[in-house]
Amino acid sequence: MAYVATRGGERAIEQAERLFRAEMGEITDARVAEIKAAMPYLIDRVMGEASLYDEDLAALALAQTGGELLEAVLVLRAWRTTQPRLQVADPIAQEALFTHRRISAAFKDIPGGQVLGPTLDYSHRILATDVLNGLSFKPAEVEPAAQPAPAYQPSVAAWQAENDLVDLPPVDDTAPEDIPDVTREPLLFPAKRAHTLQSLARAETGGALALGYAAMRGYGQAHPTVNELRLAEADIMVRHPNGTAFSAGRVKVSQAEVVSKKGEKLELGFAATLGWNEVKCISAATLDLNSAGAEKGSATEEEFFIYHTEGVESSGFCIHFKLPHYVTFQSSLDAMRDAKAKAASRKEPAE
Amino acid sequence: MSLATLTKNWEPMSYGFLDASAKREIRRKMLKAVAVPGCQMPYASREVPMARGWGTGGLQVSLTLMNPSKRVKVIDQGADDSVNAASIRRFLARVSGAPTTLDTLEADLIQSRHRIPEEKLREDQVLVLQVPNPEPLRPVQPNMSIARQMHADADYGRMWLQLYEQIVRSGRVMQGASYPSLVNGRHVMTPSPIPRWDVPKLHMAKHLTILSAGREKRIHAVPPFTRVEPLVFDDVPYKVEDHGDLTCNRSGAKGFFMNEIPQDDGSSTYEISDSEFGVKTIKQAEGAPVEFGETWYTDGEMSS
Repeated sequence: MAYVATRGGERAIEQAERLFRAEMGEITDARVAEIKAAMPYLIDRVMGEASLYDEDLAALALAQTGGELLEAVLVLRAWRTTQPRLQVADPIAQEALFTHRRISAAFKDIPGGQVLGPTLDYSHRILATDVLNGLSFKPAEVEPAAQPAPAYQPSVAAWQAENDLVDLPPVDDTAPEDIPDVTREPLLFPAKRAHTLQSLARAETGGALALGYAAMRGYGQAHPTVNELRLAEADIMVRHPNGTAFSAGRVKVSQAEVVSKKGEKLELGFAATLGWNEVKCISAATLDLNSAGAEKGSATEEEFFIYHTEGVESSGFCIHFKLPHYVTFQSSLDAMRDAKAKAASRKEPAE
Repeated sequence: MSLATLTKNWEPMSYGFLDASAKREIRRKMLKAVAVPGCQMPYASREVPMARGWGTGGLQVSLTLMNPSKRVKVIDQGADDSVNAASIRRFLARVSGAPTTLDTLEADLIQSRHRIPEEKLREDQVLVLQVPNPEPLRPVQPNMSIARQMHADADYGRMWLQLYEQIVRSGRVMQGASYPSLVNGRHVMTPSPIPRWDVPKLHMAKHLTILSAGREKRIHAVPPFTRVEPLVFDDVPYKVEDHGDLTCNRSGAKGFFMNEIPQDDGSSTYEISDSEFGVKTIKQAEGAPVEFGETWYTDGEMSS
């Protein structure tokens, strides 16, 4: 029974998985809590790409996958598939966001002020190697300003619209439960606005950056000015079956508005995501800014960037090439050998 | 009657993993796909606990069609014991409680990557093919929305041109697997990447074939008794892989699609690709009672 002897498939995959998990060892709730506390920006990135806001689940996913980011996102997305949709939260406007950081590159000062909030932007990127020698790194205490910055801020684009510099998109009063959901219906092109924004919100950060950067470097028509970059918390307002509205908690969100001159007006590009992820929002907003009228097949065309920044799909397809392909390969070999034989027979000199 | 009798206890996942709304969508899209053979139907394609490109499309269809009495067979490149086939089979059984089998004849549902079994499928069987790229026009038009318009217009000129150019350059059509085929005289489809050997098995077949691409979010179907005709020119006949004369080194089966196994001495031996068919052949040689189904190919020739 030669065949039976080789049927090690199930055993092999189980042991291979054990080997992977052995490196991480036991996963405890303490480890998950430590990951959550130590790496909020990684958690944010994963939550955004998974389009699932739960810091504990995100930390667990990271623990379980050993920090293999795309795997962590996949685990979370697959978990998300199993969850019922209980409620759709009320839409939230920018001025209702509890804002931690809001900056504009377009003006020296803006209504509400430039609020730096938490950032590494102006830090010197020096590795704290002393930590490895037993000296722990204790960050200096934050000294609160005498006057705290206002937590609620208008958008810069609203001011520009008042001054006839930009046309804001028409108000979309679609009922929350009727907003198209890209995870529950097919994505077709030209994409619905909601599908585009949702796809960018779920985009893989590196992918959005790569294509966004291509647009910034010159493979796009529009040069972005960061009109506003905002890190905030959004209240999730849902309704009890008896009609009472209540907050189910706050989630961290980030958003970017970028503008570019188009004739006498400014053109607006926008992106937002769950969690704080500035690079992704600026890149995605730049892609959005450049997408109108972009040539088919160019990096800034909607179909191109939505498909190719989808991290779970792109990484899955990439690693699928590890699967055996010997049937298709054999089929190609057959065609090649036959073509070669035909060519050889043609080259024989005529008698 | 209490409220508890009307409700279900909370469960971490639905029966068969996918929730009812996802299954409903897939059922509807399968019906549409059957109604317009070979036409690609877009669907939402939920994320499942496997990586995209690893059979998530086939998996979603199988999960929708599964019930505890459906016997399922999973193959990858013809083999039941291939690691990914083992993984999918284990997952299907785990979330649906369905029995599994390796024998084509016993299976109600066959999920396959890149092969159709050598034994003929019956009216009561469903074949689910995993599809990496559902778009036959991709090599000539990578943009999906333009390709969709081309299908609507039955605009296959560039497809034909590509085949013609191959004949001019190489003396033959160079397409290996996933040979573009016209379904029901209307839509050109890419028959997953099954080898050319398997394409004639779809033509006027008794069974239903569902082809599902999870990453690309498209389902198409070949309903029973539907024409599936490879795109060929009148004077250049369709040619399957030259495997009709090959013999399996392990089972002795002859005249079926083979895997080529390179040898140290520079030569090759061959093993039958349909692994369970090979096992049956070995069992029979050892005198065990084995039931063989009728095969599509006889003595290396497609029997009509």
